[in-house]
Amino acid sequence: MTCEEFEAIGLGAERDESLSEVERVAAREHASTCSRCAALQDSWDAAGVELRAFAEDTAMAETPARVEMRLRQEFRTQHVTLKVRRTAVIAAWALAAAAVFAGAVSWVSWRRGGQRETAKQLKSAPSVTNSAENNAGSVPNTGAPVQGAGAVQQRGPAGAAVSQTLVAENELSGFTFLPGALVTDTDEAAILRVRLQRGALGALGLPVNEERAGEWIQVDLLVGDDGLPQAVRLPQ
Amino acid sequence: MRIAEQERDDVLLRRAAKGDEEAFTLIYRRHQAAMYRFALRMTGNTWAAEEIVQDVFMTLMRDPKKYDATRGALGAFLYGVARNRVMKHLERLPREISLEEKNEDGTGSGIVLQDASTPAIWAEKRERMQQVRAAVLELPVEFREAVVLCELEEMSYEEAAQMAGCPIGTIRSRLHRGRALLMAKLEMLRGVPRRATAAR
Repeated sequence: MTCEEFEAIGLGAERDESLSEVERVAAREHASTCSRCAALQDSWDAAGVELRAFAEDTAMAETPARVEMRLRQEFRTQHVTLKVRRTAVIAAWALAAAAVFAGAVSWVSWRRGGQRETAKQLKSAPSVTNSAENNAGSVPNTGAPVQGAGAVQQRGPAGAAVSQTLVAENELSGFTFLPGALVTDTDEAAILRVRLQRGALGALGLPVNEERAGEWIQVDLLVGDDGLPQAVRLPQ
Repeated sequence: MRIAEQERDDVLLRRAAKGDEEAFTLIYRRHQAAMYRFALRMTGNTWAAEEIVQDVFMTLMRDPKKYDATRGALGAFLYGVARNRVMKHLERLPREISLEEKNEDGTGSGIVLQDASTPAIWAEKRERMQQVRAAVLELPVEFREAVVLCELEEMSYEEAAQMAGCPIGTIRSRLHRGRALLMAKLEMLRGVPRRATAAR
């Protein structure tokens, strides 16, 4: 080993794990034969002692406790903010979902309520019964008393005519066609019993006694499949 | 929930990222001293070292995903961050005025001696430590880093090369030059300390 090589790798040869044992032995041998390099090694050893003393002196040095406190405070702030933000987002989504759900539920119940009410109305009308035998086309011409009954006809899935006619008890008499109503429109008509003020009959084109216009009366209406009243009857 | 002392760093870090303060504190307590010593030995300034350590852990707290467990130990990652902070600090050092108390030889008093058996010994040791400290701090940054890592932190050349992000041969050569400079300074200070200081 030359002096240059010793200077480069010899001083730390004992600690340099990347050196081979042969190189370490060569460094030791060189230091024992070369007085200049031996002096250099001694000088470095002395410096090494001082460096170690300096290292030992600072070996127990630790970050002041205030740094840990500051970091923990910062950690809390950061994660609380994150948590709050996350909670707010979750709450917003939950509220939106709840609103949608409530909307859906109320819509469904409104639909069902409407259907139930209609069914109840149809059921509660005392004059309405089911009868399969009635003919829907048996309504006589305008002005004449209604002979046949208004009918609601439904077609079954197989196409067979399932005739389900809602007929008032005294279906065969008393209907007066409203002005302008067509007899053919009454094929799939329904009879509805309603309660209205006598004056409202005037709106249907019927003569009304003005003195009794405010009276409440029960009226059977023959309603066509277009939803418009076709004929009217005052039940007894 | 209590955390086992031997819990791995990456496991702790995952928990800390989810908001577990205890896990974060444990990571901090495991690594703070090494970071602080490294920063203190590199800067020679307790305030700077404190700030650097705080910065290192703040980085870890704010962006824990920066650490990739497959690329090495958390300690090495933190050393890397600390090293960057130290370099930044040293880069802007000439523009900053240290508020630390200065001795008459111009060195600071950031490192406090613990052995104080008699006032005379204490004074002598203190002076010598100041000289060593000053000699280390006067080394160019690359050489200083090699000396701090290999001689003061007692890392192997391989570990030091990993920390400094350079080949092992570079560390060896930096160390060689750092040692030569250090020896020259220490000999000069040892022979005629006051004159040597005045000559600077």
